Amino acid sequence: MQLSHHGKVALTITALVGVALGLVSYKVSRLGYSLADVLPATQYELTYALSFDGHGGDVRVRSFLPTSGAHQTVSDERDVSSGLHLAQAMEGANRVATWTGAEVRDGSEIRHTFKVLARRVSYDIPPELPVPESYPPSVAAYLRPEKAIQVDAPEIGATVERIRSAEGPLLERLRKIYDLTVALTPRPFKGTTDALTALRLGEASCNGKSRLFVALARASGIPARLVGGLIMQPGAKRTSHQWVEAWVAGHWVPFCPLNRHFAELPERYLVLYYGDESLFTHTKDINFDYRFETRSALVPSPRAKASFTFVDVWGLFDRLNLPFSLLRTILMLPVGALVVVLFRNVVGMPTFGTFLPALLAAAAGETGAVFGVVAVVITVAVVAAVRWGMQRLELLHSPTLAILLAAVVFSLLTTTLLADRLGIAPLTRVTLFPIAVLAICAERFYLSLTEHGGRAAGKELAGTLLVMLACYILMNSLALQVLVIGFPEVLFLVVAANVYLGRWVGMRLSEYRRFRGLLRVTP
Amino acid sequence: MTGLSALRARARALLARRGAVVGINRRNLALVYPNNARNDYPLADDKLLAKELFVAAGVPVPETLAVCDGLFAVPATIEALRGQRDFVVKPANGSGGGGILVVGGWEAGRSCWLLAGGVPLSPVTLGRHLADIVFGVHSNQLEDRAFVERRIVPHALFSSLWADGLCDIRVITLRSVPVMSMIRVPTAESGGRANLHQGGLGIAVDLATGRTFRALHHGRAIERHPESGAPLLGLELPAWPEVLEVSRRAARAVPLGYLGVDVVVDRDRGPLVLEINVRPGLEIQNVNGAGLGPAIARAEGTA
Ligand SMILES: Nc1ncnc2c1ncn2[C@@H]1O[C@H](COP(=O)(O)OP(=O)(O)O)[C@@H](O)[C@H]1O
Ligand SMILES: [Mg+2]
Repeated sequence: MQLSHHGKVALTITALVGVALGLVSYKVSRLGYSLADVLPATQYELTYALSFDGHGGDVRVRSFLPTSGAHQTVSDERDVSSGLHLAQAMEGANRVATWTGAEVRDGSEIRHTFKVLARRVSYDIPPELPVPESYPPSVAAYLRPEKAIQVDAPEIGATVERIRSAEGPLLERLRKIYDLTVALTPRPFKGTTDALTALRLGEASCNGKSRLFVALARASGIPARLVGGLIMQPGAKRTSHQWVEAWVAGHWVPFCPLNRHFAELPERYLVLYYGDESLFTHTKDINFDYRFETRSALVPSPRAKASFTFVDVWGLFDRLNLPFSLLRTILMLPVGALVVVLFRNVVGMPTFGTFLPALLAAAAGETGAVFGVVAVVITVAVVAAVRWGMQRLELLHSPTLAILLAAVVFSLLTTTLLADRLGIAPLTRVTLFPIAVLAICAERFYLSLTEHGGRAAGKELAGTLLVMLACYILMNSLALQVLVIGFPEVLFLVVAANVYLGRWVGMRLSEYRRFRGLLRVTP
Repeated sequence: MTGLSALRARARALLARRGAVVGINRRNLALVYPNNARNDYPLADDKLLAKELFVAAGVPVPETLAVCDGLFAVPATIEALRGQRDFVVKPANGSGGGGILVVGGWEAGRSCWLLAGGVPLSPVTLGRHLADIVFGVHSNQLEDRAFVERRIVPHALFSSLWADGLCDIRVITLRSVPVMSMIRVPTAESGGRANLHQGGLGIAVDLATGRTFRALHHGRAIERHPESGAPLLGLELPAWPEVLEVSRRAARAVPLGYLGVDVVVDRDRGPLVLEINVRPGLEIQNVNGAGLGPAIARAEGTA
């Protein structure tokens, strides 16, 4: 039987969509892929910025650095210290960093930077879980009083009596202690508040509430400890944070009475150390100051990388030492090309060439969208000017193009040089733009200028830049990138869309305007 | 309620009208691709190839005076033209008028030609121009051929519309059946080019009668020439049945089913086919004030 042309097209589209959806559902149902994993995670980059005046003498600064665990993953650690030596040691669960130096000058600085990927963790405590009779010795240590955690003070005992937190199952006791500490009037951070003071004043900041929580928990027979850390927020700040953990059936379960987190640790919390410690100790009289600088960026979720392993392009690129940016550029190009097709064939927007906007958008991944546009405009202007000057020489086509290529190289170098002078870091990366793509873009502009005039050429350039921006937005969507990496078969959907558009006879949006005289209903 | 139904009626009318208008997507998918095989495009794009087919089929074309198909042929071409008047030099694969020189007279004293505008053209300059054409400068390809043809003297009706050159009649044909037509008139504003986007005029011609009935300038309907004030509507074109006939025969001479045939009416020889286009533009719809859709459907019925 002979299939009609229309039938062939419909069959092709159905097959492509079927294969794509089939593969996706197979991976989700059988291979444990999760579509939610395509959503990007927030990665924080933290810097301890410490400054001090050494007065030419010995300086010692001690602090804590985060460790990786179930809640947080620490990576890419760098240390830049003016001549100080960094020594690290584990003390219990804490990673202690000590910077030491001799003859340290005034105005010295330490910058210690690391990246953190964290996830929210939460615990379900069974309501009937009893409080054990006894604990292993290492845990039992967390029942004892400390200087600022006065477990055996009469007032603490009386409070335990009053709220009856030493009776009933574990969850009930924790709930009572939590409620009491939550109910204390919160106060902005002002130095250290011990458990007893917090109880007497009925108000406290994070560390007072946390010490009182620990004291009450210990007095109620529940091992508990202070946790010190940071709440990660883009910007710079001096405030650190403290919360607590209680020992529940073999796990340290987090609570934050200040910000009301019960048996959960939010993603933004960064754990730095355990116990009643101070974050920084240092040589006296050195005018010590510190600041935490935080920046955030979206990165592919580590779970996607770990679980999307059916056709492991990601792993392949890792093995070949090719950058992730190259992988996503390659995989996103068909998506960008589809965007261009939509703009050209459905909207009717004129652009230079079919794929030029997508290629430019891929290149703009290095500079960012705005500077990408700036780079294109500068190059096109320079090259068009050179081309105009060359026209008098009446050269043949190929040598002309070769000269334009040189003009692109010069304009990129000059742009980089100027951007560097002016301190516009992203613009210095224009040298990473594919030179041939820019040369072709500029040549198209010039041809359009001479053949169709300034208006048409300007329109085409504007169209190219606009479509480039649209491509940029889509191609730089991390979620879409990870989706295509994990499910490359979605590119079949892109192909199917192109097959459909390739047979689409509808009017382009711009043609509604062009033929408006013919479409207008004349009364 | 009435507002809503009125809106719905308007929308329905708009959709009906939309069906009549052919956009680029529909032109390509429904007209160009099914009727014109890509490997036959050169027959239309290369004016010399098209001319050979036309001459063989007895379609009247401007007389070819010389063909220059390589750098080696340039001196001979120039010698052949020495002393000649009224000829046109063209690239075989040019478009948009690029690389075309229209020569008027010969000045024996200075031993040079005069271009249609009066500018002198020395043999050396013409030689360089021929070399440029041969190297593909005017056709965006690596090499091309140059040819020389007799300059057409347009029929008085056309020279009254534009005195300094040619107005051509564009006839769209579907499988050799004329579908729609217009005259393209250069203006001073368009720099002598018959390009509607650059200020040229488009004048619609009724296929049945050969009478002009609508004129468009910058997308607006006009009744008089914007520069000379001459009336544009109700003009009766000379030799109209012959114009349609040469269009049909030109379309039959090539294996291409959907064409824009450009015809000029020479004062002495009558209608001549100047060139054919495989992707004729769609502005003709605005000029005619009607979509191509119904006309195409009628042509498909008769073809
Ligand atoms: N034989 C000719 N005599 C006079 N003018 C001509 C002749 N051939 C071309 N021209 C002029 O050049 C223009 C373009 O010629 P045409 O053959 O249509 O080439 P193109 O493909 O570049 O449009 C015509 O509109 C006319 O003004
Ligand atoms: Mg023409």
